[in-house]
Amino acid sequence: MKIGISILQDGGVRFDGIDPLLHKMLSEIRTAAELDDPRVETRFYQSPTHDPDSEDLREDWKAFVQPDLHSAFATSREAVEADLRRSTPDKKGHRSLLIPRNHIDHWLCALNQARLALVEFHGFTEAEMGRQPEDLENPRDYALLQLSIYGLMQEWLVSLLD
Amino acid sequence: MPALDTPEIETKDKADLDSVWNVVVHNDPVNLMSYVAMVFRRVFGFPREKAERHMMEVHNNGRSIVWSGCREEAELYVQQLHSHLLLTTLEKAPAQ
Repeated sequence: MKIGISILQDGGVRFDGIDPLLHKMLSEIRTAAELDDPRVETRFYQSPTHDPDSEDLREDWKAFVQPDLHSAFATSREAVEADLRRSTPDKKGHRSLLIPRNHIDHWLCALNQARLALVEFHGFTEAEMGRQPEDLENPRDYALLQLSIYGLMQEWLVSLLD
Repeated sequence: MPALDTPEIETKDKADLDSVWNVVVHNDPVNLMSYVAMVFRRVFGFPREKAERHMMEVHNNGRSIVWSGCREEAELYVQQLHSHLLLTTLEKAPAQ
């Protein structure tokens, strides 16, 4: 698989030659990030402090901060989904993906959400995360491949912003 | 004429306002090192070297105090770091 990456004059990025498997995985960013699991919820919406005397802060956080985070995370997932919806396949089924400059942060956020959620949901250890996936029919191996692909893309986008 | 409800006034204790609070970032095996350093640069305006030093401290020691000061400002930083999904807490600094 050879993917062409171009940085556009307006700061956007275009990926060419995305094959169907990679496109499928990218289309699953939202599903992964929205895994319904209390461990994922706890990881996304952390307590601001462990200080035993700051119960007021924890309550304020739940009431005022977490709803804003919830909405910001959802906005990022929607932006990513919209970019993916716009990518149309060529005759070979390969696609181009355009990420506008003002969506790069949304991609970073959604990719991060997806990676964190997959790790919590599957209970991966650090050692397991370094394992090479072998059987893509196996949901854990498939999730490992997703982690790796999403991590690569995130790394690349971070280097672009540098 | 109906009586007006007495407004509820929340007061913060002076000792609490005078305290120094630390913003502490904790290690997690998922967030990429480059991403964590980028977030430190964005949120705190750290130069690259300082951002990477804190990122390495999180990675090697499990935690790094990235900012210290008054509680309200510390809360805002924690909120921003949570929005980037970094494991972050607010801790009262031990009295000097």
